[in-house]
Amino acid sequence: MVETPKVAVLFGFGINCDRETAAVFELAGATSERVHVNHFVNGDRDLSEFHILAVPGGFSFGDHLGSGRLLGNRMRFAMREQLSAFVAAGKPIIGICNGFQVLVKTGLLPGKEVPDFEQRASLTLNNSGRYEDRWVTLEFDPESPCIWTKGITRIECPVRHGEGRFVMPSTVDLDSLDSNNQIVTRYVDPSTEPGKGITDETLPFPICPNGSIRSIAGICDPTGLVFGLMPHPEAAYATFLHPHHTRNEVSEEILAEGMQIFRNAVEYAQANL
Amino acid sequence: MRDVRGDSVKRQLAADHSINIDSVRSIVGFLIDSEITSEEVSTRVDDVFADPIIEESATDSLHLDNPTLFSESPDITVTIGFKAGVTDNPGKAALDGFRTIFPEAGEDARVSTYITYVFQGVPNEVDADWLSKQLHNGLIERALYSTNGEKSPEIEYIPVAAIEYTPPATIDLEISDEDLIKLSEEGLLALNLEEMQTIQAHYRDPEVRASRAAVGLPENAPTDVELECLAQTWSEHCKHKIFAAHIHHVDTETGEDTEIDSLFKTHIMNPTLEMKDEVDWLLSVFHDNSGVIAWDDEWSICMKAETHNSPSALDPYGGAMTGIVGVNRDILGTGLGARPIANTDVFCFGPPDWEGDLPDNLFHPSRVLRGVHAGVRVGGNESGIPTVNGAIVFDDRYIGKPLVYCGTIGMMPRRLADGRESHEKNPQPGDRVYMVGGRVGYDGIHGATFSSLELTEESPSSAVQIGDPITQKKMVDMILEARDDGLITCITDNGAGGLSSSIGEMAEYTNGCKIDLGKVPLKQSGLSSWEILVSESQERMTVAVRESDVPAFEKLANLHEVEATWVADFTNTGQFHVVHDDDTVASLPIEFLHDGVPQLRLESEWVKPVNTPFTPPSVSSHTPLLMRMLSRPNIASKETWVRQYDHEVIAQTALKPFVGVERDGPGDAGLLAPIHGSTKGLVVSNGISPRYSDIDAGAMAAAAVDEAVRNAVCTGVDLSKVAGLDNFCWPDPIESKKTPDGRFKLAQLVRANRELERICRAYFVPCISGKDSMKNDYGSGENKISIPPTLLFSLFGDHPDVRYTTTSDLKPGESLYLVGESKQELGASEISFMLKESGEADGIGGEVPQLPNPEKNLGAYKALTKTIQSGIVRTAHDCSEGGVAVAIAEMCIGGRCGAAIDVDGPGDADLWGRLWGESLGRIMVGVKQNNRAEFLSMMKGHSLTYMGETIDSDTLSIWDGDDLVIEAPVEDMVSAWKGSLDMTGGEQ
Repeated sequence: MVETPKVAVLFGFGINCDRETAAVFELAGATSERVHVNHFVNGDRDLSEFHILAVPGGFSFGDHLGSGRLLGNRMRFAMREQLSAFVAAGKPIIGICNGFQVLVKTGLLPGKEVPDFEQRASLTLNNSGRYEDRWVTLEFDPESPCIWTKGITRIECPVRHGEGRFVMPSTVDLDSLDSNNQIVTRYVDPSTEPGKGITDETLPFPICPNGSIRSIAGICDPTGLVFGLMPHPEAAYATFLHPHHTRNEVSEEILAEGMQIFRNAVEYAQANL
Repeated sequence: MRDVRGDSVKRQLAADHSINIDSVRSIVGFLIDSEITSEEVSTRVDDVFADPIIEESATDSLHLDNPTLFSESPDITVTIGFKAGVTDNPGKAALDGFRTIFPEAGEDARVSTYITYVFQGVPNEVDADWLSKQLHNGLIERALYSTNGEKSPEIEYIPVAAIEYTPPATIDLEISDEDLIKLSEEGLLALNLEEMQTIQAHYRDPEVRASRAAVGLPENAPTDVELECLAQTWSEHCKHKIFAAHIHHVDTETGEDTEIDSLFKTHIMNPTLEMKDEVDWLLSVFHDNSGVIAWDDEWSICMKAETHNSPSALDPYGGAMTGIVGVNRDILGTGLGARPIANTDVFCFGPPDWEGDLPDNLFHPSRVLRGVHAGVRVGGNESGIPTVNGAIVFDDRYIGKPLVYCGTIGMMPRRLADGRESHEKNPQPGDRVYMVGGRVGYDGIHGATFSSLELTEESPSSAVQIGDPITQKKMVDMILEARDDGLITCITDNGAGGLSSSIGEMAEYTNGCKIDLGKVPLKQSGLSSWEILVSESQERMTVAVRESDVPAFEKLANLHEVEATWVADFTNTGQFHVVHDDDTVASLPIEFLHDGVPQLRLESEWVKPVNTPFTPPSVSSHTPLLMRMLSRPNIASKETWVRQYDHEVIAQTALKPFVGVERDGPGDAGLLAPIHGSTKGLVVSNGISPRYSDIDAGAMAAAAVDEAVRNAVCTGVDLSKVAGLDNFCWPDPIESKKTPDGRFKLAQLVRANRELERICRAYFVPCISGKDSMKNDYGSGENKISIPPTLLFSLFGDHPDVRYTTTSDLKPGESLYLVGESKQELGASEISFMLKESGEADGIGGEVPQLPNPEKNLGAYKALTKTIQSGIVRTAHDCSEGGVAVAIAEMCIGGRCGAAIDVDGPGDADLWGRLWGESLGRIMVGVKQNNRAEFLSMMKGHSLTYMGETIDSDTLSIWDGDDLVIEAPVEDMVSAWKGSLDMTGGEQ
């Protein structure tokens, strides 16, 4: 049993949410280290040193040739064995925003029980054609095997992307994802009752900010250990980051609802690794 | 699959030109030149170049020829690629990806990118040539097009034309004065006669001649390398010669006749140095790339703002992008390297709906807006730096030259692990100097001198570059690690003037350097010595490293895949010594290089400008005026544009640019909590009010400072610790044949500086690192367009706890108060411009807002910040363009809440003055009923007027005593405010 899990937070090549991602894991009780991708690619560090892997948001390689593709390729071709071993060891992985795009393009998401590094879905240009930063409301599938989202019904946090529209080649693929409860989180209308917002529709802009099929915001692999989402829960770690905080009473507790995702992974690692 | 790229082009043509096209589709192409065969590439194309889930790919064939993809022949196709030698970021990334798949691609492998747009259902009147011009900029891109189903031309890979190396030349300066001027003009040196003569005299000095003979240089004349180096170092851009000038100032209003020895020293530097003696938090002012102040015991913060006006006029996208990534490097080059944590941007453009004539070679303001916005968006977002505050200002005169102000805040640990204070550089002779980041190319030659000249039709395209944020991001990551490991002794940015400026400036610390141009890595061979020395190719830092740290430094560069090349050594010889392989090509005394430029002597004469007075028309209701004002570009919501900036990366942004119930009300200032887990804050705000210069540039400057301070006050800033940045953009203020009104423009500068000093002293806001851009004119003679003299004042400072702050949106159950007084000040107000443009008023003249008693304002500001810090005030909004009427309307919009206020109150302003006047020092405040008593007691003794209450209905009512003068439903105000600058072209 590990008391203080160690988190590897990837950085380099245009990843840019590495500092806050490292910070929220620390606030959740882990120790985190920002590790340059090339340390793993060159083999002078190994993923097995860590209990949790985070691929943060950013603009790896400037999103050229499609978001996440070039960093995804480096991982797919140069970190394949380390990643397979990490997943086989039952260790959690999260990809946020660009990190989600990377995990989709490496094939780790939606993935297979045993990773085969085949791409099965994609994240592409928002229907609006614009990159946007705006807060959204997310709701979570309570039946999902995802270890990152246990006990979370609804949170608000920002999206900050130009390529967040989740697509898969066919309805059959989506149905199978749905029946495995791998559609972990979706954009929902904030005026609905919490727990009742999830729908298979593509909700209108800006509720669903990118036009994602079935308003999908995040998915997991069949094991529930690998999780990716476009929105940024780490950017909702504190009460004073919420756009409405001046409309609310000032609270002594500064940690906010975005923290639960990171706490869940830390607790999972403490209980299982 | 929907083609979003094509759709965006379709919507933009509809928004900007009212052209409706049935369909636009896009094809992305890659031209690959490598050792790998087409067959091999075709098996892996979906691994790199195309996304197998959403895209169709093909190798060596055109999609357009594939009938399953394009069943009908298109009306028009346009294919756009970069010109040879222009930065192609996607191409660079594609090559990197290509090498991941094909490590055997070969040393010389190249990838360049292009895009083809395929148009169906184009209205007959749309010309293909015109269409292609809307989609590309001929300065940096090439376009091919086809019409009516003819075969789309295939774009070819164009290699960069070989440049032949020219050995350094000797320039004979023993020529007539006339020829000296000709030499300066034809060589784009931008030096005046006295400066040319000073250089001429240097080469006549017997001591200089003797020392030159000793190193094998021509004794009596400069090499081209030396002359170019002097021109860069002595440029207006680098030396701020106008701010350093000796000025004879005459005021015809008062009869004053005085001499001023440097505006900068008199009005900016000396006041700040005096303030520095009174406080312990001003760590570093004026001498570094940005000014540094202490934030707490562990961290210091710094800020810099720059302009990138001329490049943005020629290529809005590339010019603005290099502006933002350039100012980021100023932060990285501060002390031993600060981390950029937030950007600000303020733009001044022509009206986006301009229908008048456009001078040759100028883009329509809407295109400038789109391009500049995109450049700043890509530059900021891809660098992972949030854009937290800014403004967009519109005036006809910015058609001639847009202003693109980019600012960055940085943060660094006060002390490094080895005990050194990080705000101080400490290089020693013998330290190695590395060039880190990008390579040197032909792009960006003559940027510094070019920006010191006015824009003409012949302005060179080499002055335009496209930034590469990812190359820079890798460099930033690497340099911050090197700093923390204690590997850096000195660092600076390569901006204007290239290596000549960066190494030249750093060499002042040790009193000498020796550069070897032969070591400098080049983008293309054949650059001559002077070109390598002065090229402003982007994404480069110059870093000094102790010899013992070289292995660690180079290892770090390798890890991050950042090119770092040893190009020079620090010495203490007193010489700026440049060799190219085995030959000395320049040797200039450090002192002459930096302090040799002669002081300009300039004439200034203030004659009060005559403006037709603003006489308000008679109106039965002010409600329609409010709706029109809310949709004025200077007031309207810029949400479409601002939402496209990442304003929250780093998870520290405690006040967003848009606030309120629907998150669409205006924010006043940026507020950050940069240390994760802590609530200690940092405020950043801006003030700008260029149109007041039409009446008095002094009032314009005072208004800018007051607005920045007011915005910061609204957040609850700690007023005992704020610092400012003055960024002047002026039309050429030197009297000449081209500028017959130079004396007046200089007098405007004098007045602006005097007011800047007076207000900054009163508010105790030291100016810690300003900048100026002094040639913001287009054309000459009758067709000359000069910008209104413009000061952007940026402010940053401390905040005790970000939880205790305000936003502009009304919260239910608040009483409304006005801090400060409304005076009869409608001169150059937004309403005066609106009514003059519509013909309802004759002029904009009258009393411009003034600050006769800033100490009084400061007292009220301090009291108000205390009420905010104590948590009893959660709503505040500064009154600026459009006065009280617009301020309260915006507060209703943010709160989706009605209000009833009465503008009848103290003072002698009439109704127009109290509704629309822009008197300084005013902030609207909302206070919950249960906090009223405490609020009133804390504000006692300060100017405060009770205005009214929020109401439980959806209407804003403004009364003047018993008269209802404005009655406006909140939703109508929302539509008016949000509609006019949307420019998205409708349906998503």
